[in-house]
Amino acid sequence: MNFVLIFLITIFSLSLFFYGRSKTKSIAIEKNIKLNALPKFYGYYLVLWCSIPSLVFLLIWSLFEPVIVKSIIIETAANQGAIFNDKNEANLIYEKIKAIHLGTYFGDIDNILRESALAYAKFINLFTNSKVVLIFAIVIVSVIYSLKKINKNNKARDDVEIILKGLLFVSSLIAILTTLGIIFSLLFESIKFFSVINIFDYLFGTNWSPQRAFVRDASSITAAEFEELKDAFGFIPLIAGTTFIAFIAMLVAVPIGLFSGIYMAEYASLKIRRISKPIIEILAGIPTVVYGFFAALTVGPFFRQIGENFGLTVSSESALAAGLIMGIMIIPYVSSLSDDVINSVPQSLRDGSYAIGATKSETIKKVVIPAALPGIIGSILLAVSRAIGETMIVVMAAGLAANLTINPLESTTTITTQIVMILVGDQEFDSPKTQSAFALGLTLFIATLILNYIAQRAVKKYREKYD
Amino acid sequence: MELMNNVKIKSKNLNVYYGEKQALFDVNLDLNEKEVTALIGPSGCGKSTFIRCINRMNDVIDICKVSGNIEIDGVEINDKNLDVVSLRERVGMVFQKPNPFPKSIYDNISYGPKIHGKGETKSELDEIVENSLKKAALWEEVKDRLDEPGTGLSGGQQQRLCIARAISVNPEVILMDEPCSALDPIATAKIEELIDELKKTYTIVIVTHSMAQAVRVSQKTGFFHLGKLIEVGKTEKIFKNPDNKMTQDYITGRFG
Ligand SMILES: Nc1ncnc2c1ncn2[C@@H]1O[C@H](COP(=O)(O)OP(=O)(O)OP(=O)(O)O)[C@@H](O)[C@H]1O
Ligand SMILES: [Mg+2]
Repeated sequence: MNFVLIFLITIFSLSLFFYGRSKTKSIAIEKNIKLNALPKFYGYYLVLWCSIPSLVFLLIWSLFEPVIVKSIIIETAANQGAIFNDKNEANLIYEKIKAIHLGTYFGDIDNILRESALAYAKFINLFTNSKVVLIFAIVIVSVIYSLKKINKNNKARDDVEIILKGLLFVSSLIAILTTLGIIFSLLFESIKFFSVINIFDYLFGTNWSPQRAFVRDASSITAAEFEELKDAFGFIPLIAGTTFIAFIAMLVAVPIGLFSGIYMAEYASLKIRRISKPIIEILAGIPTVVYGFFAALTVGPFFRQIGENFGLTVSSESALAAGLIMGIMIIPYVSSLSDDVINSVPQSLRDGSYAIGATKSETIKKVVIPAALPGIIGSILLAVSRAIGETMIVVMAAGLAANLTINPLESTTTITTQIVMILVGDQEFDSPKTQSAFALGLTLFIATLILNYIAQRAVKKYREKYD
Repeated sequence: MELMNNVKIKSKNLNVYYGEKQALFDVNLDLNEKEVTALIGPSGCGKSTFIRCINRMNDVIDICKVSGNIEIDGVEINDKNLDVVSLRERVGMVFQKPNPFPKSIYDNISYGPKIHGKGETKSELDEIVENSLKKAALWEEVKDRLDEPGTGLSGGQQQRLCIARAISVNPEVILMDEPCSALDPIATAKIEELIDELKKTYTIVIVTHSMAQAVRVSQKTGFFHLGKLIEVGKTEKIFKNPDNKMTQDYITGRFG
């Protein structure tokens, strides 16, 4: 139904565009007057007036309809004699009624349910009909209003500008508000977590074993349980594992990415650039899960095999394999960012260096790279923050045990892996274990935020220098 | 007739192409030693292209092809086997827009000597830096802040820094491509004074759009138009009574 309505509104608005445009055009010609705006602006004006109020109404209606219908139906069911003790049971009954209405319920249907389903059908019908009627009313009113406003004095252009500005503003508002919402939910859950677990125990603890936190409800915690919990959430092994794997990744990505960026920017002919840039960018488009099973199924076992040949025990889930693959994943970021940065070093600096007799590699080494350095560092930091936030590869290839180790051949775990581990499967929302995921998320968020901030400042400073 | 200095640079039937487009047509031009030669002409006529042939900077541009001859001290330089590095050590260049490296003032000057293996010790380098800056008339202004970035200087100072950088490897020729076009009159006057001083030691070629500047600093002037060298001669003659009608029109501002 909604789709049909939206479709109709769209079609109608579009036809109004042509109507408004041609009408104002003919008025202008007939009466030989100069309009306040181009005819097409009057067209836009009609379109916006016809579509926005009705669509906004439809949106709001669709948001509230289910809630209202539900409360009414539950109420009716209760009046019919249905018994439910809490919200969950009420919901269940409501779902049943809905299913009966749709004909997808195969259980026993007693009298109460049948009556309620009939009531449900009635309400839905009523709501749909009134929705359609109201929307038509709104469309008609707003179209009549806007048609009236189309005359030579109307500043259609300004109105269109204002409406468009409003639309754009609302979009950015939504973006900002959702971000804020996420941050606050992270924050609140983390605060709950830290009200149970001391923040210092968390930050400096060296043992991570959240599965010990079998406590179901944080509010009813006993002293003994608390002692048990106290050292179950030590963050150190996770941050160590994360940095360790990110470090291995950067060992791979920085040299290769940087050198390929230098090659692309300084040496590659136009033809080579045209072919190889897209190829490198394809690397950036591979879903990380693909890298992940490549790491877990190919590289991990491969290292293990090699290790065995040398008499080493290599865990098949090793920091080395995860870091290596993550490094490969990051190469295109480092490469294309540093390519951009190097490209934006002004040619005049290179010319100055060549003119004094420096060779190409001397120029690159002594002039271009130092000039681009802040930007390059910025791009490396951005890559690091990607590496830290990367989840899929480490979940698949780094292991789950929170070992505090610097042996790259052993398995380690990362912040992101642990978040995944905590949140898959059944959980109690109120247990410290679940809440610890939010604390980890918050920590990760702060860490990447700081990195990104520094990186962006570095890049910006660099850009200022040459603008 | 007044005695002219020796010919330092000689171009013979020089043709330059950017891809399909020909930018210079059979240019024959002699540049004298320890003298300032000014190249004038309307925009796009090939002045920069010409001086970039002298230090082979056109090599940097992929599509640029140079044919014909350029000799410095009788040695052909438009030759594949010629060592460009040592050519550019002998022929320095100053660009239109000051382009100091984003390094300290000291490092800007010591860059060239280090590349060419001059100044083994720190004290030798110090001396080169000091002498170059003195010759470029910048020493007094920057001697107390040699480790500050060269990009922090004023435009005129930056351009003198670039001149000092060119001097630092002790070249024989200095090419200047509109060195004052980004500078105010006072900075321009300083650079012109400097050019006057430098011509005692160096052969200088300067591209300029200012007739007055050409008259002030040069002894010889060449007028280019659409890639052809239209007329060349003593600066006085070119500006007082040129042989060619086009030259006449250009210097009197009737086209250009
Ligand atoms: N890198 C290049 N690629 C293609 N064509 C070029 C290139 N550089 C110069 N040209 C062309 O060669 C011709 C001569 O250019 P050149 O830069 O030598 O002129 P100019 O006399 O120095 O002009 P201006 O006074 O504006 O600096 C121009 O037509 C220009 O379009
Ligand atoms: Mg030029």
